[in-house]
Amino acid sequence: MGGLGFLVPAFLAGLTALLVPIVLHLRHRERDQPRRFPSLMFLRRIPIRTASRRRITDWLLLLLRAAAVFLLVAAFSRPFLGRTATETAAAPARAVVLLLDRSLSMGHTAVWPAALDSARGIIAGLAPADRIAVVLFDDEAEVAQPLGSDHGAALAAVNAARPSSRGTRYAAALRTARQILGGARGLVGEVLVVTDMQRSGLAGLAGLELPADLGVRAVLVSPAKRPNAALVGAEIQRVPDGERSRLLVAARVLSRDLGAPRRTRLELSVNGRVAASREVTLPADGATMVTFDGVPMSAGQARATVALPADPLIADDTLHLLVPAEDALQVLVLAASGGRPEETLFLERALAIGRDPRFAVQRKTGTVLSTATLRDAAVVFLADTPVPGGSGGAALAAWVEAGGGLVEAAGRRLGARPPGLSILPGRITGTVERMEDRGGAFGEVSLDHEVFAPFRAGGAAALGAARFLSYPRVEPGEGAEVIARFDDGAPALVEKAHGRGRVLLLAAPLDAVTGDFPLQPGYLPFLRRLAVYASGHEARPPWHIAGESGLIPGSAREPVVSTPSGALLRPGADSAGRALALSEAGFYDVYEGRAAGEPVETFAVNSPPAESDLTPADARELLLGVRRGDSAQTVATEPPAPREREGRQRIWRLLLGAVLLVLLVETVIANRGWRGTAATGLIPSSERSLS
Amino acid sequence: MTATAPATYLDPVLLARIGDLALLARMVVDGFMHGMHRSRRVGLSLDFAEHRAYQPGDDIRRIDWRLYGRTDRFYVKEYEADTNASVNFALDASASMDFGSGPVSKFTYGRMLVAALAWLSQRQGDRVGLVTFAGDLLEIIPPSTRHLRLILHTLGRAKPGGAGQLRPMLERAATLTTRAGVTVVVSDCYEDPVAVQRGIGALRGRGHDVILFHLLDPAERDLPGDGAATFEDAESGERLPLRPEALREKYRAQVAEHRAELSRLLAQNGTDYVGLTTDQPLDIALHAYLEQRLASSRVR
Repeated sequence: MGGLGFLVPAFLAGLTALLVPIVLHLRHRERDQPRRFPSLMFLRRIPIRTASRRRITDWLLLLLRAAAVFLLVAAFSRPFLGRTATETAAAPARAVVLLLDRSLSMGHTAVWPAALDSARGIIAGLAPADRIAVVLFDDEAEVAQPLGSDHGAALAAVNAARPSSRGTRYAAALRTARQILGGARGLVGEVLVVTDMQRSGLAGLAGLELPADLGVRAVLVSPAKRPNAALVGAEIQRVPDGERSRLLVAARVLSRDLGAPRRTRLELSVNGRVAASREVTLPADGATMVTFDGVPMSAGQARATVALPADPLIADDTLHLLVPAEDALQVLVLAASGGRPEETLFLERALAIGRDPRFAVQRKTGTVLSTATLRDAAVVFLADTPVPGGSGGAALAAWVEAGGGLVEAAGRRLGARPPGLSILPGRITGTVERMEDRGGAFGEVSLDHEVFAPFRAGGAAALGAARFLSYPRVEPGEGAEVIARFDDGAPALVEKAHGRGRVLLLAAPLDAVTGDFPLQPGYLPFLRRLAVYASGHEARPPWHIAGESGLIPGSAREPVVSTPSGALLRPGADSAGRALALSEAGFYDVYEGRAAGEPVETFAVNSPPAESDLTPADARELLLGVRRGDSAQTVATEPPAPREREGRQRIWRLLLGAVLLVLLVETVIANRGWRGTAATGLIPSSERSLS
Repeated sequence: MTATAPATYLDPVLLARIGDLALLARMVVDGFMHGMHRSRRVGLSLDFAEHRAYQPGDDIRRIDWRLYGRTDRFYVKEYEADTNASVNFALDASASMDFGSGPVSKFTYGRMLVAALAWLSQRQGDRVGLVTFAGDLLEIIPPSTRHLRLILHTLGRAKPGGAGQLRPMLERAATLTTRAGVTVVVSDCYEDPVAVQRGIGALRGRGHDVILFHLLDPAERDLPGDGAATFEDAESGERLPLRPEALREKYRAQVAEHRAELSRLLAQNGTDYVGLTTDQPLDIALHAYLEQRLASSRVR
């Protein structure tokens, strides 16, 4: 007579389910709702005696339920009668997590098809009882197919995968695999990483902890050398050229494993049209800066693209840039009638120096302000002249209300003839003379304020070196904030918000007659930062890296975002702004209300430069720095399944029939009230006590 | 000096209804600062501190010439300047923090606390950073003066979950930056006090000033309820059938002993320990934080 064998012996592990009815029977868990508690750390330390409650009260029902479970497990194990039992021995089922690298570097034409083939081959090689999960990862991990026995669904998940524009982080993928396998008890866990083993992705692995019995294997799908040329950065600059400006672009090209220097042509496109091109010889290995001829530009914002001829890794052959609108901030300096040009000389010269941002200073005397005068201005400096009254004052107030910046630089003139009430954040009440003690200086200064940002890292001494022989005495108005004082306590700089704009009253004279401030090193950074702050200007990067977030301006109340792939998004919002996840390379356009017309905001996004360095790491480095036990490096072997015997077994049908019969009997007995003696409700209090 | 802020700005139950963390942090800090005297704006001034004898290499512009006229000796003026320190917040996001017997869970309370303290630190010109952790470091935002909004977004998105130990996470957080600063740890500290002390010690060893906010829910402190029940550990899933009323006194003693031991051990290595329950207003934490910053910010 032949021995009893099982086609799927792994299911016999289900016999442990026999414990379930016993434990349920003992603990009545179906009635005892657990109460979630943060930690049982303290409760465990208190000795509790609970032994006497473990008593079986209904043997018949327990045996019937245990029999049903046993027969069900036996049926699923597919028993059969064969000549020998040993023929059918099989390895335990595996729980395989397939980690498929979809970072930008995997988009190489020599790599991605091989990666898909490898992933399909892994799925095809699974035994029927094996379970598989598919995780797609770049710098984040996405579970494309949860752990399960549906190998077809796993294959579909692999077939649907596409390379992304983002970087590589193996740590995120392995952490996800660990989480998935944490729920697969009783199976042999194995992680297969289909990847090009890009070295930059290894960062963050140190300190990661994996179970000691988890097998991790890298399936390398990259050739040792992959020639690649990539655009990894650029510098852009606008240069004034008469009425217009010229755009200067210098792009950085990285070439690797080209074998020999290669002649190629780069193209610069502005707003979708080819504006310049440049022939260049790339070294076999190294970096090259390519500078294009200046491109005439209008004043508005523009989107530029630098492109290399397509190579096997297309995604890093294009660099997207956002050229900000003419960045010169218009500063209108209103001088006092009859004032000499020398009085504002230092102010004008200080603002005219430097870039990022550039200031275009316009000095006017005795001008009547109007909406047209103020339209292009970002900041208005009143050089020791009062805030105008009448229609000019109303226009100025409305302009500030709408977001303009006003700085009143008070001096001797206003100190001698204090003006009346206005939108200024304080009142000038006279002049403080400091000739006798050889001049006053800045005293208490709010270094946390943006105006004084250049002086935070030890630069306060440069500010404190200035001496003022006389200055206007200022009395702060209601709601105004004093952000700097002289050493006698008198306010030196007072600020107040006015609508969406800012008004600052500066009592520190900006000329070289009543002090030496313009001659001190702190003058230039202070004045530039004061103008930038008053204007509300914020510097923007010319591009973001895929995976970063961009902040949508608060002015867009119902933003609609068009992504580089053409999808439309509606991001949520809070008072700190709307964050937009920039995951694709290209241009994101933010529209108000509907995706039509001129975008209110544009983000240029490029792939991470580190992804263009295709130098592979050794597969063993995948586990360097990962904390785990000595038996960690296990790799499960492929178990042969005895499918050829399947046709000779029919016992499972009989077993399923028996299960139905047992369950029927159990139902009848339970409904006839034979459980009358079973415990009900919570665990009796008499059975739980302190020892 | 410690005038109480309007209670409505600091009541955690009311604050928890505000979904917008930026608005919440601003409300809390403004409400709190409103209750302080104006003269105590920490770290914003260039206040004169003392005279020191001139030494070769000192800037001659700092010499006090009037004192020279009186004493015929050179002295330089020294000021107490703003530190502009790096303030790193470490928020426990393990599953045990996702517990609240009232409307405010520990994680929600901790999130509000970190948001308010980050806002306050930013107002003082400090660089602010954030680390959230459970079984691993989940989010790492390095300290910067520009990261406040990113921190608030990250806090808004964060969800508690998973099991974790405090000590290895603090040790890893200590390696993230080489620049010494202030580290604010917000956790329910379900770990042996000695292990917590060692984790904090890793931060102290790198020169960080540390302040630990130990959050507890009132139900964790008091173990309320009558009748038999099965308690389930939020992190391990372990279950324990028991009768709370029979264990309450011993349980409370255990919790009190744990807090006292934490306070004692952390005081040994110069760490400020602040025990909080989620029904307490936030000004206790803000005061404790400001006092710690005052103690560590007076540098020359």
